[in-house]
Amino acid sequence: MDPQSTIILGKAIGAGLAMIGAAGGGIGIGLAVGGAVQAMGRNPDHTPTIQTNMILGVAFAEAVAIYALVVSLIILFVLS
Amino acid sequence: MNSFWNGKRRFVALLMFLAGVFVALEVPPVIPFIQLPGEKFPEGFDIPLTGIRWTNTMVGSVIVWVVLLLFVVYVARRRPKDGNEVPPGGFYYLFEVLFEGLMGFVGGIAGGRHFRVIFNMFMTIFLVVLMANWMELVPGVDTIGFIHPHVKEKYDAQKDEYKLVTTDGYEIYQGFLGISYVNGQCDWISPAAEAAADEAAIVAASAAAAAAERTLTQDAAYARYQAEHKGHGDDATGEGGGGHGDDAHGEEPLESNTVSLASAEVLAARVAEKQARLDRGCHTGVATAPWQDGYEPYDKSKAKGISLHPDPSSEEAKLVPWVVLPFVRVPSTDLNMTLTIALISFVMIQYIGFKALGIGYLTKFFNFGTLFKSPLGGIDVAVGLLELIGDFAKILSFSFRLLGNIFAGSILLFVMSFLIPILPWPFFILEFFVGVIQALVFALLTAIFMNLATISHHHDDDHDHDEAH
Repeated sequence: MDPQSTIILGKAIGAGLAMIGAAGGGIGIGLAVGGAVQAMGRNPDHTPTIQTNMILGVAFAEAVAIYALVVSLIILFVLS
Repeated sequence: MNSFWNGKRRFVALLMFLAGVFVALEVPPVIPFIQLPGEKFPEGFDIPLTGIRWTNTMVGSVIVWVVLLLFVVYVARRRPKDGNEVPPGGFYYLFEVLFEGLMGFVGGIAGGRHFRVIFNMFMTIFLVVLMANWMELVPGVDTIGFIHPHVKEKYDAQKDEYKLVTTDGYEIYQGFLGISYVNGQCDWISPAAEAAADEAAIVAASAAAAAAERTLTQDAAYARYQAEHKGHGDDATGEGGGGHGDDAHGEEPLESNTVSLASAEVLAARVAEKQARLDRGCHTGVATAPWQDGYEPYDKSKAKGISLHPDPSSEEAKLVPWVVLPFVRVPSTDLNMTLTIALISFVMIQYIGFKALGIGYLTKFFNFGTLFKSPLGGIDVAVGLLELIGDFAKILSFSFRLLGNIFAGSILLFVMSFLIPILPWPFFILEFFVGVIQALVFALLTAIFMNLATISHHHDDDHDHDEAH
């Protein structure tokens, strides 16, 4: 196998592995939104407060997944 | 059937679908080149008065600012001067709804003494990021641009021939649907152009050598003339002429190796230019110059039969990978833009903290007050330091959250337009909402952190918040 293909292979595998981190973000967002929807259902008057906090929590959970995405993008497009 | 098509303009959707089918059949979708940093425009597209080349994300942000300023002018002009006047309708109401709704929203989170500052910051960031994010939905953005082949010829020692590779040095292979993709990072220089530049350098070097020689000869002639002049005209012309000559050419005579130095300088500049290109990661052209050891001249006879600048409509054009360097790219896919807004947001958080709490704001980070008073004082110190680190981490998470979301979104749109060129609309709807949510999250987090910065540890100003509600 020539070195160029090896580099592509390594990049692809590395980027794929890095994206495993997105699973954590997904679980986190699911839990946060699930909890928020339950709370809103029980307590519709507090919907604005709950929504705000939910968006905050979702943003934080998502940030972790985004870090994984950025790492894999860097592996794919910046490393050479 | 008739009632289904009447009035609702559904035929537009059908026409778009059919147009999509025909276009996809006629022009096979090109897989886009994906590049993280903003792509530089070709040579000659400098920002006026600076030496900086335009990048397509920069063009995008200029458009965002111009459009936003137009909105500001529009709203300021349409806004009723008198409070009782009924505002004019139309587009203006959109802004009223937006501002009133978001004012209530932010008031619920950060209502208090600093509401105005926080809301101004919130709204500015929200509008800028929203405009930037929605740009990816505009047709033509990311798709219309300079198109150029992105190949070079590389000498293959094993087969003793030149083969076409991308400028990154990757082999060109026919990928899915026979399409391959390459990058717009390096300006493409053909081997012929390189050779021409080398020739030009040699010509310039000999010209410089000739010029240096001429200067030397002139100097010698002048020195001879001066010597004669001095010897001859002591009495005839007086001091004026002689004194002038001494001023202009009073230095020591130039060395004779100036000639070779002058030409070597020109050649070295050319070599340095080639090396700078290589250092940038652009492996185009020939690395060595003709006057250097190990020079491999470009041999046209060994080249493959593919022209490097084929006619786009010809058959051989299908073998060459083409690249679009879009005129406009979504500015939030460039780290420069997101990082800038994140830094502004960070500075404003610290500013409002100092404004609200004075120098006491620093005790949030350097909390040594309780170190010797309470048994748990050490924990306070550690918490303060963690807050300090966390504050700087905000810059990182702010900028990368926006960048990652929007960059991933535009790649999603690219790839979906490539895979299903006739029906990518659902993803545009998805990206519409992602754009709003990301703008809202960015602005909302800024507002929340600004509000948190105004609240002291000791809950001194809780009454402020009671007033607000």
